Amino acid sequence: MNIVVCVKQVPATTEVRIDPETNTLIREGLESIINPYDTHALEEALRIKKRLGGTVTVLSMGIPSVREMLKDILALGVDQAVLLTDRRFAGACTLATSYALASGVRKIGNFDLVICGKQATDGDTAQVGPGLAEKLNVPHVTYVQKVEEIEHGYIKCNRVTDDGSETVELTLPAVITVVKGINTPRLPSIGGIRKALKDEVMVWDVDDVGVDENLVGIKGSATWVIKTFVPHYSTECTMLTGSIQAQARALWDELIERRGAL
Amino acid sequence: MNNINQEYQDYLRDESRSTGQAESIFFPVTAEEVRTVLLRAGKTSVTIQGARTGLSAGAVPQGGHILNLSKMNKITGLRYDQEQGRFVLTVQAGVLLSQIKRVLQERSFDTENWSGSSHQALDLLRQSGQWFFPPDPTETSASIGGMVACNASGARSYYYGPTRKHVEELTVVLSDGSLIRLQRGRDKVEAGRFNIITDEGRRLSGTLPSLPLPAVKNASGYYLQENMDLIDLFVGSEGTLGIVTEADIRLLPLPAAIWGVTVFLPCEESALRFVHAVRSELCPVAIEFFDHRALALLKEHAQAQNFDEKYHTAIYVEFHDKDEVSIRNSVMQLGRIAELCGGDEEKTWVATNRHELEKLHLFRHATPETVNTIIDRRRRLDSRITKLNTDMAVPSRELDNIVRLYNRRIEEENLEAVVFGHIGDNHIHVNILPRSIDDYLKGKILYLEWAKEVVAVGGTVSAEHGIGKMKVAMLKEMIGESGISQMKRVKEIFDPLGILCPGNLFPEPIRAGE
Repeated sequence: MNIVVCVKQVPATTEVRIDPETNTLIREGLESIINPYDTHALEEALRIKKRLGGTVTVLSMGIPSVREMLKDILALGVDQAVLLTDRRFAGACTLATSYALASGVRKIGNFDLVICGKQATDGDTAQVGPGLAEKLNVPHVTYVQKVEEIEHGYIKCNRVTDDGSETVELTLPAVITVVKGINTPRLPSIGGIRKALKDEVMVWDVDDVGVDENLVGIKGSATWVIKTFVPHYSTECTMLTGSIQAQARALWDELIERRGAL
Repeated sequence: MNNINQEYQDYLRDESRSTGQAESIFFPVTAEEVRTVLLRAGKTSVTIQGARTGLSAGAVPQGGHILNLSKMNKITGLRYDQEQGRFVLTVQAGVLLSQIKRVLQERSFDTENWSGSSHQALDLLRQSGQWFFPPDPTETSASIGGMVACNASGARSYYYGPTRKHVEELTVVLSDGSLIRLQRGRDKVEAGRFNIITDEGRRLSGTLPSLPLPAVKNASGYYLQENMDLIDLFVGSEGTLGIVTEADIRLLPLPAAIWGVTVFLPCEESALRFVHAVRSELCPVAIEFFDHRALALLKEHAQAQNFDEKYHTAIYVEFHDKDEVSIRNSVMQLGRIAELCGGDEEKTWVATNRHELEKLHLFRHATPETVNTIIDRRRRLDSRITKLNTDMAVPSRELDNIVRLYNRRIEEENLEAVVFGHIGDNHIHVNILPRSIDDYLKGKILYLEWAKEVVAVGGTVSAEHGIGKMKVAMLKEMIGESGISQMKRVKEIFDPLGILCPGNLFPEPIRAGE
């Protein structure tokens, strides 16, 4: 079973600060981490590999420093790591990202399964997994919380739905996206780190993957960010005083009578 | 002042889960208000509280007033100590450890009322990387006042030492309402004598005995050494000498590389060999222990990544270093030592960043938390049952013997227990989980039996939680009648009426006229 896991580097916090003057992201002091959902995708891939054998390849698109993150991932027992990095990949929307990653998966070749986290914590679109499946022309299932069965050419997954869950069977190759509940991700071992010291991350640019440069990066994007701005928040604080009964009464009047909560 | 009605019942308890009684409670916001309370208290006793996270009932009142410092929660200034090359943060006693961690991480302080020089120091701090306050008790909702009172420590105290080592200055209100400022290096005890001037210009002097300390990590009774800094007497005095209202704490530069490793080993003997080897060959900041019972408990109750059934004991080791290359070298050596001791490099968890470290720390903290949850459930069936947690440390040469003793006696008495904690300092906690009142009584006897054994080999009955009200008999076991009376005489110098924290350290409250 050959598995490709797509991962993204994201800012460590969701409380992104934007410079009110320039409306751009303040990167100072911002730590980068692997998208937390992707750690569950990696774990699931490594568990399937342990049961069925084969390989796990990790694939990412990003700036050159993402290489360091991929080196850390190699220590988890991943067989190879590929980074798509090129100025021409930059500024991609989910469509262009799906296309670039699909090209990466094709170049890696001979894959049975692609696993992605359900979404990235920075963009929160949850579109890249399904988009990638469409570009690869394979079936997909999102929000997988359990891989119930998997064998050559076949996978049975249980996915989360709005009102419960459903079981879906697919033929392989396929793409699945996973939720956090699927497993508890492992940490690397000393043995894994020792082994990864010798491993290298493969770095590919637009020419290496042989894509049409008009379909990747900002040129290949169907959406553009026209404006970012700092939302205006206002909070008011009212102190309630008096006996507990009086405070409860005042809270009720404020929330229910005046603001119509309920 | 508030009378103790339904609303304030929680303040009669602390994390030791014992309950006391009091007539009234005060929430002062300044040292001046603390002084006023004391002046009005007369001969009424006063129990001091911080965040009530202590495990020895030090903050549980035995009548009288409660002086709760949780509203003294301001960080009031910052300075740069040019000579030592470090920052010193001034915090009120009710400031929580979690608050300090957060502001230092974000480098964002509430600077209202800060002086100009504090603002300048803050500018410098912001330009000079990350800084941290090393003491790391498991409970980060502890207050600084509480940490000073019991000389708290944590896993990293193996390298950085307990709270005492990181306190530069204290502001203390004495029982008569006078205020003293104690500075490390300035206010010394020389040839057994000390001399200090209160804020009102009164000279306070006295003679202090010197008591031999066990050569182990220790938080039992007063620190009394020849030619010591007077501040060190107040650190660890559990509120019995005065009320710490403000502390100047030292900050250190946060090491560039912090990695943690949990190593699984096939048996306890191999884990002990591993600990001895790590201590002698490497320079970690923490070495923590989980026995097979603790691992079984975590497997059942805590959310953690899978670990192999056949692995019996786990050791957590943390390194702080200047860069990634050096720290990786240490971790690779650790792997080699693990293999030599019967472990397997593959059966390890390595955390190389803040987020992963948090996972390993949570795994470590899950042990006492899981125990507490189980005990709370059992208490609902029989309220007489409480957790029995030991806090003893022994000299290095006795480590293996004490671990064997704990195991043998837990099995002989057929008790449910977990053994875990700061094995680097030969300081491991036994938590007994009584299933019945019989278990509870058996456990209590066993606890005293262990205290005698530990004292006999040169150890301490409390290495970090303090004596409080729960280990008073053990302190006596440790330092004897004469030790207790010498300590009592020290208390009488600062608190002649015996109104501060009665029941802490000493067998019965010392009252006026005794």
